[in-house]
Amino acid sequence: MTILSIRDLKVEYATQDGAVEAVDGVSLDVAEGQHLGLIGESGCGKTTLLKAIVQVLPRNGRVTGGKIMFKGMDLMQLPAAEMRQLRWREIATIPQASMDSLNPVQRVGGQLIKLLRVRGGYDKRAARRRAVDLFDMVGLDTERLMHYPHEFSGGMKQRAVIAMALALEPSLLIADEPVTALDVIVQHQILEVLRELEQELNLTVMLITHDISVVAQVCDSVAVMYAGRIVEQAAAEPFFASPAHPYSLGLQQAFPNLARPRDVLVSIEGYPPDLREPPAGCRFAERCPFVQEACKEHDPRLEIVGDNRLAACLRSNEMDALRARAEDPTLWQHVEVAQLVGQPRPDFTDDGRGEPTARPSDVSHLAMAGQSPADPHKSETTPADGVDAPPLLEMRDVSKRFKIGGGLAGLLRGDKEQTVYAVNNISFTLRRGESLGLAGESGCGKSTTGKLLVKLLDASDGEITFAGADLSSVDDKDLLAFRSRVQLMFQNPFEALNPRFTLYRSLTEPLIIHGWKDENERTRRVVETLDRVNLRPAEVFLDKYPHQLSGGQLQRVVLARALVLHPDFLVADEPVSMLDVSVRAGILNTTRRLARELGLATVYISHDLSLLQYTCDRIAIMYLGEIVEIGPSNEVINNPQHPYTQALIAAVPVPDPTVENPPLRIREGVPRPTEQFIGCPFAQRCPEVMEACLSVRPPVIADERAHQAQCHLYGEHRDSPKLERDAAAPR
Amino acid sequence: MQQEASVRNSAAGGATAQFRQGSAIRQLWETNLEVFQRDKMALFGLFVFAIFAIVAIFAPLIAPNDPLTPLKNNDGDWIKDALPYWLAEPGEDEAEGYSNTFLLGTTNIGRDIYSQLIHGSRSALLVGFSAAAAVAVIGTVVGLLAGYYGGWVDAILMRAADVAFGVPFIPFIIVISAFMDPSIWNVVVAMAVLLWRDTGRVIRSQVLVIKEQAFVSAARVSGASDLRIIFVYIAPSILPLSFLYGSFAIAWAILTEASVSFLGFSDPETISWGFMLQDAFNSLALSREAFYWIVPPGLCIMLTVMAGFFIGRGYEEVLFPRLRRM
Repeated sequence: MTILSIRDLKVEYATQDGAVEAVDGVSLDVAEGQHLGLIGESGCGKTTLLKAIVQVLPRNGRVTGGKIMFKGMDLMQLPAAEMRQLRWREIATIPQASMDSLNPVQRVGGQLIKLLRVRGGYDKRAARRRAVDLFDMVGLDTERLMHYPHEFSGGMKQRAVIAMALALEPSLLIADEPVTALDVIVQHQILEVLRELEQELNLTVMLITHDISVVAQVCDSVAVMYAGRIVEQAAAEPFFASPAHPYSLGLQQAFPNLARPRDVLVSIEGYPPDLREPPAGCRFAERCPFVQEACKEHDPRLEIVGDNRLAACLRSNEMDALRARAEDPTLWQHVEVAQLVGQPRPDFTDDGRGEPTARPSDVSHLAMAGQSPADPHKSETTPADGVDAPPLLEMRDVSKRFKIGGGLAGLLRGDKEQTVYAVNNISFTLRRGESLGLAGESGCGKSTTGKLLVKLLDASDGEITFAGADLSSVDDKDLLAFRSRVQLMFQNPFEALNPRFTLYRSLTEPLIIHGWKDENERTRRVVETLDRVNLRPAEVFLDKYPHQLSGGQLQRVVLARALVLHPDFLVADEPVSMLDVSVRAGILNTTRRLARELGLATVYISHDLSLLQYTCDRIAIMYLGEIVEIGPSNEVINNPQHPYTQALIAAVPVPDPTVENPPLRIREGVPRPTEQFIGCPFAQRCPEVMEACLSVRPPVIADERAHQAQCHLYGEHRDSPKLERDAAAPR
Repeated sequence: MQQEASVRNSAAGGATAQFRQGSAIRQLWETNLEVFQRDKMALFGLFVFAIFAIVAIFAPLIAPNDPLTPLKNNDGDWIKDALPYWLAEPGEDEAEGYSNTFLLGTTNIGRDIYSQLIHGSRSALLVGFSAAAAVAVIGTVVGLLAGYYGGWVDAILMRAADVAFGVPFIPFIIVISAFMDPSIWNVVVAMAVLLWRDTGRVIRSQVLVIKEQAFVSAARVSGASDLRIIFVYIAPSILPLSFLYGSFAIAWAILTEASVSFLGFSDPETISWGFMLQDAFNSLALSREAFYWIVPPGLCIMLTVMAGFFIGRGYEEVLFPRLRRM
């Protein structure tokens, strides 16, 4: 039975520059018990659709046409008071960033009980019982009922929000990006809760997300939105097996998949059309690799193209052929990808002398002596290092501690000074042209490591050498020279550029600082660099301000600024996490290509393992400030040794509905790194924890491919008696 | 091919390079322009200031008499308490031996009130603008240093601000006046010593926000020095805030000067609107219903203070657009 039926819905926003048709003729049916995933890039109208359904559009938005029927009621005609009754009780929503929607000054359980009493008509005792049940249902410790939101972790808050949404047993749950911005392990567990509840309560769910792997994990059908329209709608399995719209094809090609890594990911070139003046023909025509003349004139309707599938494409009858052609990545992104295709990855793991590259328990041998890779393309473009050339960068036993709660104010207030051990004794080396990925949950110290590498922070202990010079003892002149060789790329492109500077000014600043006196020379270098990062024609961009560019373009500018001085070493801190999936691959490909062209050593910092697998030669997994595993990317991903790495990999959602993620064996929540561990830092959460883990530092175990893990499972204490998990970490 | 590209590049570079200079200053100018274009009240404030400024500059030319010298009649006596000519009985002035041309009458010792009013604008604007400049400059520098460097610099500057917050303002000026010769500069000094605290605090908080933004880290990674980061990257973003607090400080300074003068701690040789009010009060002008003596300086104080607040409000609307919806 259909419970929600949307017919030809149009929503318009009034803006200063005219009306924007954010949702333009969307028709959608949701059957009882269906789990529909609504996907699309930002600005395509997903959230607007949700807001139109529950009628909470912002003041400048209004529904200009169409019908929304819910259980036979026309929501548009419903008086406001009845609509209010409907919300939450019949249609519950989990809004975006909903973790922040809990009232910080009320206990979580109190908010739940109040909701039950006011809206649900429960009496005091029944409400409390129900609240306990709900906490239990979403996997929250019922003893936490009377805790305040700030005492909850992000994942716990998200569970509480789900409990609140389901408190009144709604017939329809609409969740807007319920797991975005959560760590991968928390994300996995929230998705598991959702999946269980779907089964248990026979919920009808509409899930809005940009992440197709989330949809694959919890939804049984999919609708793809693009520029205010639905372009494809299908059941999940056929959708993932054989998308029926070029945009869906592109999205799938853009998405990294840990289980089936692609040689080259694509990005869908271009940007969605301006919805103030939508094009006459197909809205995707401008970005579509299969575009024909007819596409620019005729607006395709959403039509039945097969068994239970709808697609809006003029060429849907030849989709099988197009699908085959779409497998070729050069189709999507001509120049960039052509340069990346067919180039084997440089091998940084074999030192060519047949010796074991690292000995067990020897941390300082994490990487091996220099060796120029066998790849001919590689050696052409990389300044060749001799066989025994020293590494470009070396970290040896580096630690970083922060003191918090100190200072004069803290002293006067009588706060105890606390030490945060952000980075503990990490060591690795990096050679020219090599790329290393740092992964781990938030709070694992990967960003701090990035800042140490570019000397935005100074190490508390240990030694960082760059090109043979110790970073802790450089003088001002050498520091300036260092600054011209090492650059940082930032996570949020909207913050990384001075909003008051034109792009020219932002890009020319580093040159001015490094003494480029001639304005024309500077301009030439800026133009050349913009050209390099595919911002063409570069002159168009010079006088633009950051707010005039899209996120993807901005991130290219950020990359250009990092490269304008022709550095040797680039640290990219979550370079694409703020960007739409459709442009992510483009940024990564450009960075990869330029790293090759310029012989750049790169460190990528990311929580996204599939992304690191795609971009990096080696991956290091960090936990509580320590590197617990490091090795060649494919080794680490396909043959993880450390229980933490295994958990991280198991938690990454697979963009394939036929593969179900295995249940996780570890709990969410990284402890605060305010103490130093005698034994293994991971012991508290480890499913394999043994007695030795609590008292003895785990050894570093390496195999012949320089794949190392720091774990007792493979050392002399491997037979140490196993512990029950709760003995190790009492709650 | 490549040559072609580089030729094109350098040509484009030459053409566009010139007007890209000094874009930070241009932007600041644009912000200021936006304030007055958007907000008609701010424009009114600016207009009021402009008129007072013209009056102050040309005061000796506009004022018919010296504001301090008592006017005398034909017999050499002071023309005490003359009514404005538009209130006086016709013929009365000739009987007393002078010709009544006084727009606002005279004081109890025969000074021309209208001339005093004109000259009063001088001290008002002098105090207002110099105090505002001192407050804005000191506050901005303190805020920038405390916010950017943090640590002990921050601790010392902000504890100094705490002390400044703890000192009662008017009594402080009275004490200063007791130690120094009476002068309108006492007010300026007192404001400079105490009132930077608000500006400093607000700017510090803003600097704390900006300095955490990635573009500042990017500048540091590029090798920019601390001073370059402070003045090229951070200062332009907070200057509108300095203007905001500066325009409020103008109003405060004029108000304070008036209060201090009214309490009798001003220089008797300098005419200010507050001094005029005190003079009127002491000579029982109120009981004689001499509104022409009391109302004009009061009105002038009110107008300039309002003008300062209107301009400040205009800045606020541009700086904090969210206020607009309230």
